[in-house]
Amino acid sequence: MITATPIGTTRGPGETAHEYTFITPDREDQARNGEFVFYEAGIDGEDRRVLGRITQRQPARLLPDGFLAEPSVAPADIAALVGYSGQDHDLFEITVSVLGYYNTALSDFINPHLPPQPGTPIYIANDEMLGAVLSRRRLGQTAGAHIGSLLSRPDNAVPVVVDLRAITSTHLAVIASTGSGKSYLAGVLVEEMMRPSNRAAILIIDPHGEYHTLTELQGKQEFSAGGYSPRVEVIRPDTVKVRISSLSLGDIRALLPDLSERMHYFLAKGYRLVQDRFGPNWTLAQLIAAIEDSERQVSGKAAEEGGDEGEGTGGYGTAGALAWRLNSRLQGSRIFDDMASLPLQRLFRPGQCTVLQLNEIDEREQQVVVATLLRRLFKARMATQKGQTDRTKEDYLPYPAFALIEEAHRFAPASADLVSSQVLKTILAEGRKFGVAVGLITQRPGKLDPDVLSQCMTQFFLHVTNPSDRDRIAESVESIGRDLLGELPALSKGQVIIAGAAVNTPVLCRVRQRLTTHGAEDVDAPAQWLRWFEEGREEEDRADIALPQEPETRGRSKLFK
Amino acid sequence: MMDVAIGKVVRSNSHIDYVCQVHGPGEVAAPPSVSDYAFGTFVRIPIGAERGYLVGLIYNTMLLNPDFGNLGPQLSPAPDLAVFSPDYLAEKVTLVGIIAIGAVNSDGSSSHGVPPLAAQIDTIISTLGDEAVRDFHTTSVGRVQVGYTPLLLTQGGATGRHLLLRVIDRLIDLFPAQVAALTVLRNQVAWQAIVTPVGGGL
Repeated sequence: MITATPIGTTRGPGETAHEYTFITPDREDQARNGEFVFYEAGIDGEDRRVLGRITQRQPARLLPDGFLAEPSVAPADIAALVGYSGQDHDLFEITVSVLGYYNTALSDFINPHLPPQPGTPIYIANDEMLGAVLSRRRLGQTAGAHIGSLLSRPDNAVPVVVDLRAITSTHLAVIASTGSGKSYLAGVLVEEMMRPSNRAAILIIDPHGEYHTLTELQGKQEFSAGGYSPRVEVIRPDTVKVRISSLSLGDIRALLPDLSERMHYFLAKGYRLVQDRFGPNWTLAQLIAAIEDSERQVSGKAAEEGGDEGEGTGGYGTAGALAWRLNSRLQGSRIFDDMASLPLQRLFRPGQCTVLQLNEIDEREQQVVVATLLRRLFKARMATQKGQTDRTKEDYLPYPAFALIEEAHRFAPASADLVSSQVLKTILAEGRKFGVAVGLITQRPGKLDPDVLSQCMTQFFLHVTNPSDRDRIAESVESIGRDLLGELPALSKGQVIIAGAAVNTPVLCRVRQRLTTHGAEDVDAPAQWLRWFEEGREEEDRADIALPQEPETRGRSKLFK
Repeated sequence: MMDVAIGKVVRSNSHIDYVCQVHGPGEVAAPPSVSDYAFGTFVRIPIGAERGYLVGLIYNTMLLNPDFGNLGPQLSPAPDLAVFSPDYLAEKVTLVGIIAIGAVNSDGSSSHGVPPLAAQIDTIISTLGDEAVRDFHTTSVGRVQVGYTPLLLTQGGATGRHLLLRVIDRLIDLFPAQVAALTVLRNQVAWQAIVTPVGGGL
């Protein structure tokens, strides 16, 4: 039995089969867009509460515009002047999208496919009801991540707890424009994943060096329990190492653009040869030697056949040019190394968050680093799962892993097919089977490969204004309806729409306060300029660059000065 | 200002629409002047001592002249007609249309809109003084009220809005402290009465 007061009365079905409309004076301004309401209906012999979300609010009856002409006179006073003494001047027609009644056995909403009868009272869903049905997990429960609270309710009244199991199996996309708080939100998610109830193995690809503040996790009491305390390892750009033999042929080609057809041919031939000779571990010198041998073989044959003389001898032919390019790209690089690489067990470990900073690394190299790492991760998980490796091997990884990738549009752009795009697509398609999941963070969904975006089954949307970005979202993301798409430009900082597999229904959420410091604060340029003067640096500089005083001129020459 | 008797009820077109025959010369000791029954004048239509009176507004004037169209030759010169056929002369009358817009009960309380009681034939109608107009438009909490506005706009015919404008103008004089609200209403009505007919929006 419902004891609450209804806020409105059903008018009838809406435009689509899963919508209905109700009329309300909305005296307490409760019928906001995104708010949850319910009606009671007898379904299968039981009284069910059929929940719905308000998607539109339109005036059904308003005072004439002329009554609003004088700001100092309340329109209600004009209504009283002409004899209207009723309470509710304005009536609203509210459109509700039906979610259904919650089935606890299925942990999902069941749509009754029958709109309420005209005249059925409509109630605002209370906090307890929403807390129980919107989130798949409860606060503190394993696989629950407390992202914040429901936006339409007071702070913390209805906690929004997303299902980490869904995120870590069917991937995540965080979409937001610059400055709308996407790194902050990602920080909150990581904090939740590192709680004692979750203890995740996370790698953060950090092209801007914003996530180092997560090291504060290590000392915080909130994250420690029963001997567990999360570890955060920050790998600085100068310590990022990629073993050259872990590069695929595609990776090397990506690092060496504008190769001629002949160079491509000898590179492929040499790459196969070096693998035949040395297995999975080889060095750059060995690769170059293999390329030279390949060319020699081909040139030798060609010479025997009486053609193509003079090429490929003495290191000045195609192999020589290729060797020169390989040396300049790989030998001179501080990232690529013949022997050293980042061990997977160091990067991925339950209860550890690894921040891989790539902020001083060239963008092309960043793509190759990400591609090789993700490829190694995927292969290791596959090999471990299939029992093709053991704990003595470096590709042994006996636990699932999650990689959070900032600026994901750099690694899987819509406009090009990069080495990192291919690996990402493989993980998005098959990672679920092997416990490899990714979270893609991007500020330009319009620039992200649509196939990549559509494979992320949970989405966090923050403020997005760019129309092409919104189009890409509409095209690639099924879980967000047109009503929520319309909300995207209206979201304020710290407000997020969570949709997809990790929640029972899309929710507008207020992101909770981070427990660690946010590392991506903007530079306060005016304050720093002022400090320059306050510290007396201007005077110092003036003294440093002052010219010696010219000797005073004497006599006649002064006249002509 | 004294209340002036302007005439009597001679017929009605509906429950709220009455026709008043204005007292002509010689009918009463002090016949009303033209300004006493002008367009937009508030009038009192008594409905019995214990019941109070109806408040009406003059919204129309009709001049009745049975001689109109009789273009035949007259046997008597015009000055003699007053002597030989006085009844005939008295049939030239002025009629005014009155719309009942509310009632004032015997206890002084007033109501706006369609009054429940109707006026009777031959009831003498008189003008309503400023004090009575002010009382009629003052609510129990001391605010001005023009609760018959919808009635005038829907029943006042072609001149309904102009009638309302005259009423509001008079109320602006009578309620100087509440000019702001009255002006908003006036502007709204004026727009519809003046600007909309010549092509203004809404």
